[in-house]
Amino acid sequence: MSSIVFTKIDGGKIKISKKALTSMKKFIQDNDCKKEAGGVLLGRYILNSLDIIIDEITIPMWGDRRKWFGFFRSRRPHQKVIDRLWKESEGTINYLGEWHTHPENTPIPSDIDIRSWKHKLNHDVFDGDSLWFVIIGIKSLRIWELSRNNLSYQLIGESYYSEVENV
Amino acid sequence: MADVQSQMIKFHEAIKLKRFDENETLRDKREIILKRLNSGLKKLDLDPTPKYEVIDQGSYAMDTGVKPLNGDYDIDVGISFKISKDDYPDPLEPKKWVYDSLVGHTKKVEIQRPCVTVYYQISGEPAYHVDLAVYSDKDNNSDGKIYLAKGKEHSHKENKIWEESNYPSLINLMKNHFQDSEDAKQFRRIIRYLKRWKDFKFQSKGNAAPIGIGITIAAYKWFAPNKVTNPFDNTTKYNDLEALQHFVGAVLSNFQMVYSEGVWTKRLEVLLPVAPGNDIFTKMTNSQMTVFQERLQSLFDSIQKAQKEVDPKEACTLLNQQFGCDFPIPDEKDTAQKRSPAIVSSSASA
Repeated sequence: MSSIVFTKIDGGKIKISKKALTSMKKFIQDNDCKKEAGGVLLGRYILNSLDIIIDEITIPMWGDRRKWFGFFRSRRPHQKVIDRLWKESEGTINYLGEWHTHPENTPIPSDIDIRSWKHKLNHDVFDGDSLWFVIIGIKSLRIWELSRNNLSYQLIGESYYSEVENV
Repeated sequence: MADVQSQMIKFHEAIKLKRFDENETLRDKREIILKRLNSGLKKLDLDPTPKYEVIDQGSYAMDTGVKPLNGDYDIDVGISFKISKDDYPDPLEPKKWVYDSLVGHTKKVEIQRPCVTVYYQISGEPAYHVDLAVYSDKDNNSDGKIYLAKGKEHSHKENKIWEESNYPSLINLMKNHFQDSEDAKQFRRIIRYLKRWKDFKFQSKGNAAPIGIGITIAAYKWFAPNKVTNPFDNTTKYNDLEALQHFVGAVLSNFQMVYSEGVWTKRLEVLLPVAPGNDIFTKMTNSQMTVFQERLQSLFDSIQKAQKEVDPKEACTLLNQQFGCDFPIPDEKDTAQKRSPAIVSSSASA
């Protein structure tokens, strides 16, 4: 499984690394036993460019509540990972957004998702203009961008797993 | 996408062979040989002792040298005798003057077809060799041309020749190729990148590897500077990777179908822009040529992949596989901006 690249609203690129993609794909809800999962996106703002790379993700942790149709991510364990990676990387691995799974082929954000994204854009403290949100569906993943400059959320890309496998 | 210009420049600094005036050891070796030649010629009891001029040539003079991977540095010097070729029908005669003056100076001195070579070893390993090309000076020839003494001692008579060679003027051609000194620097960097690629990817023995001067002349013909000038502050930014991609692409597109060794095959022909004007790659066999083309194509593909790559670290890893260990791969933290810490809230999704 290779990495994938999308174009952001500002024209720069956002790359999801092979490592992050592989970890997220383990949680695809392709059978009834798998509950919804999620975590935060972490990565680099590349020097002298508008490009971003999602290097790491967090996976469900202690305190999270997972259901077949719904996921609650608690704050503290994920914050600890954000702090640790930020420190270890000398401030270069940063919080970029969130991901979660949906038990549907082509993922569509629910009203709860959209409310939560907008809440995070307005209440999370982060050094940037946008946050990105990935939903892992059964056949494809999609990614949305929410920008402080632009209140609406925008779908910036979709990638079918079958296509990526062949890369 | 990924901006790897700073890694390209670091790579260039690592492989660049400094010129004589900056490289004491090589300059000293050259001086010692020239002194020895001077005293040796006097001892030969020729009447009169032949006069000559020393000409700097090769990649040192053109400022396109790269550090050798096998540690065997080569120094090129031209010895231009003030003699007419017509007075010396056997071109081996002045070559022997040089040989006789220098023989015994090191363990191994040899007459080769285009030059006389003095080999130096350090603890049994080849460390340097000095190639002395022997010329008949243009002022002493009735046609005003420079001739190179070619042939070995036991060569057939038809292989012992004075060959017209304006190799010394190649240096000026290269020096004056670009008026803009920054363009000229990029030109020389591109030559060095490809020469190091060649050293890394090919065996140095025989004719398997495309020779360095061939790469230099190919760049003279097909390289174009690649830069962007910002109109607001008038700063110029060079893009070596893009320049290299265009240049390698141009070299590839110049492989042509020709009839050679009894078959139709694709070959690259690069003619020396000065006398004797021969095809520099003529010694490569058809199959060596095919390997050269395949490896160039693989280089071209890797450059294109690196250009599309978002992550500078991965882009440099691809280039490192083509250019070898001296091409730096940055740490991830050196590729990214430092930003202030984030504080996140809890969240719900469905």
